[in-house]
Amino acid sequence: MQKIGVIGTGSIADVHLEGWRRMPGVEIVGYYDLLPEAAARAAQRYGGRAFASLEALLAAVDVVDICTPASTHKELVLAAADASKAIICEKPLARHSADAREMVEACERAGVMLFPAQVVRFFPMYRRVKERIDAGAIGKPAVYRSARCGAFPRPGGKFSAVHYADFAQSGGVVLDVGVHDIDFARWCCGDIERVFARGLTFAGRPYQDHAQITLRFVTGAIGFIEVSWAHPRGVFRTRVEVAGDGGLIEWDSLDRPPLLVELYDEERGLQRIASSPTAPEDEPYYAELAHFIDVIEGRAQPIVTARDGLEAVRAALAAIESMRSGWPVALKEFGG
Amino acid sequence: MSEKTVCIGFLGVAHMHSVSYAANLLRMADVEIVGMWDRSPSLAVDWSQRLGIRRYEQAEQLLDAGPDAVVVCSENALHRPLVELAAGRVGAILCEKPIAVTLADAQAMIERCAAANTRLQIAFPVRFAPAVVELKRRLDAGELGQVFAVNCTNHGSMPGGWFIDPELAGGGAVIDHTVHVIDLLRWFWNAEVTEVYAEVSDSLLHPGLGIDDAGLLSFTLSNGVYGSLDTSWSRPPSYPIWGDVKIEVVGERGAIYLDALHQYVTVASNETGKTQWVSYGSDIDRGLMADFVAMVRSERAPSITGADGLAALAVALAAYESARRGEPVPLENVIPSLNR
Ligand SMILES: NC(=O)c1ccc[n+]([C@@H]2O[C@H](COP(=O)([O-])OP(=O)(O)OC[C@H]3O[C@@H](n4cnc5c(N)ncnc54)[C@H](O)[C@@H]3O)[C@@H](O)[C@H]2O)c1
Repeated sequence: MQKIGVIGTGSIADVHLEGWRRMPGVEIVGYYDLLPEAAARAAQRYGGRAFASLEALLAAVDVVDICTPASTHKELVLAAADASKAIICEKPLARHSADAREMVEACERAGVMLFPAQVVRFFPMYRRVKERIDAGAIGKPAVYRSARCGAFPRPGGKFSAVHYADFAQSGGVVLDVGVHDIDFARWCCGDIERVFARGLTFAGRPYQDHAQITLRFVTGAIGFIEVSWAHPRGVFRTRVEVAGDGGLIEWDSLDRPPLLVELYDEERGLQRIASSPTAPEDEPYYAELAHFIDVIEGRAQPIVTARDGLEAVRAALAAIESMRSGWPVALKEFGG
Repeated sequence: MSEKTVCIGFLGVAHMHSVSYAANLLRMADVEIVGMWDRSPSLAVDWSQRLGIRRYEQAEQLLDAGPDAVVVCSENALHRPLVELAAGRVGAILCEKPIAVTLADAQAMIERCAAANTRLQIAFPVRFAPAVVELKRRLDAGELGQVFAVNCTNHGSMPGGWFIDPELAGGGAVIDHTVHVIDLLRWFWNAEVTEVYAEVSDSLLHPGLGIDDAGLLSFTLSNGVYGSLDTSWSRPPSYPIWGDVKIEVVGERGAIYLDALHQYVTVASNETGKTQWVSYGSDIDRGLMADFVAMVRSERAPSITGADGLAALAVALAAYESARRGEPVPLENVIPSLNR
């Protein structure tokens, strides 16, 4: 039985806790949050107790699940590594490359698992893309494209926290959202040689951010990623395609869904509800957490490593640097 | 907490679903496949080697090994003798759809299993598609108000092999592809088909095939809903996927469009010379197997019964009769629950 402690009980913690709650072989022991009422609310919803300090939580658990904003990950990971806990840490691994590196090295030294929660690798369509590439269906990947477009996570929205709007804490859309696609692109095409990016991050538009990132991989492949916090509220658009020298794979969230409901009433007019349900065990956040447990219990090799988490952060920060300077940034020299 | 191991045997593996059923069982904890038998030695050798499962020369020997349950995935016409052979020797049987090729066979299987205290389940895996479950939830919640009609397809590719042998399959596209969708509709509304009209053709899409490969059913249900179903083997080899299961429902407050398995990445590969839709959806056979194993382990009745299998088969057979007679065929006399 793995004893789980969750640090930071905001929006993404709720998603994790829905998974932990129904997973066999784990026990939700408790929570620590800077805001005691947030931890208390989680305890009420999911069981376990609210701890008054990080130290008290660490003393009571085997595994910590870090669900706080990026800029806080380092101190929390270092404390958990010091206490020899297995760690799953939300993306981005850190706000700065040096922090991410320090975390990775501290965990390596302490011999504890640091698992970066790069959840896109657990979305079934992305999994299938990678699996088909590995099976040789498209030959050698040559041109990668993906997009992840939504509205700004404004206070009052679903992910309601204010830290997203503060570039110093979140790194804007390129770090917060870009790490998802950068990590997936690296999974498909390997290490990144250089990046070039344009975007709105420094355009001074409150509550709007957007970027287009051009990549060159070490293999010679090229790639393009669009990330947006400038799309209309309520929209979440993703897509991915990988063209190789022997074929092409594509998927688009605008493809027809397996279930579409159209209802009309005089008050609300036409409502259109699209859904693409999966079996509970295939739900990506559940699959991610279950894989992490399989890894720490020796049943599986990790499909993503702390080094991958670090490299995704580095490439995202290089894209931000490119946006700032107007020049391509080579990853080899880039410290962040 | 580990459960008692459930031991399962395969009696007949001529239906290709047997591979996926076995693969799913092999991945489940506390389940053991004790062995397999098929009347074709070459198929049995291939199948057993591919899955690493013990092969028995005789069906009797497999039953002597004492499985808790068997899966019958033979050619349709052999479902009856194999189910009858296993009845009384195992606690439960999972029989591939359609239950049988005649109503008399289906009735005999149901009665024999009941008398022998063996629980008979029919394999309708589409009930386990998450989008189907979601559709049922919405219908149960009454979102559409009164439902008027359903427009359904269960298209496929022409499967060849024993599927086009009338003796073994009992028919072509109509018997193959009527039963899945009819089972879903019966399940959604706890209703029966009351009348069927059908246009059916042999060799229409595949000249010289010698069996029906195209079928359009028009039917009414006991809850007042009417509907249509296209069972045709109309997806050519050049099409990106084998087929579909679609149900479009229209009611007084709106419409719902189900394309049950439409969760695909598109893969164009020079290796295959073609563009394919490759599923990333949850494996519906995993859901079916988990449900069956849970039933074997418990005392409960099967979630999909022999009577469900018979009712779906009756609709397919009525469609053939309608096509022969050129008129709608009532089902009152064949589906027991309609005849009260
Ligand atoms: N994988 C995904 O799809 C996904 C989605 C959303 C967020 N996230 C990531 O999850 C992280 C958290 O995002 P969120 O939207 O849940 O934020 P949130 O603001 O909703 O929740 C964060 C919580 O952490 C608490 N907290 C802040 N600093 C703390 C500290 N030092 N110690 C203890 N608690 C602290 C806050 O009080 C708050 O309750 C971010 O890194 C974000 O990028 C990932």
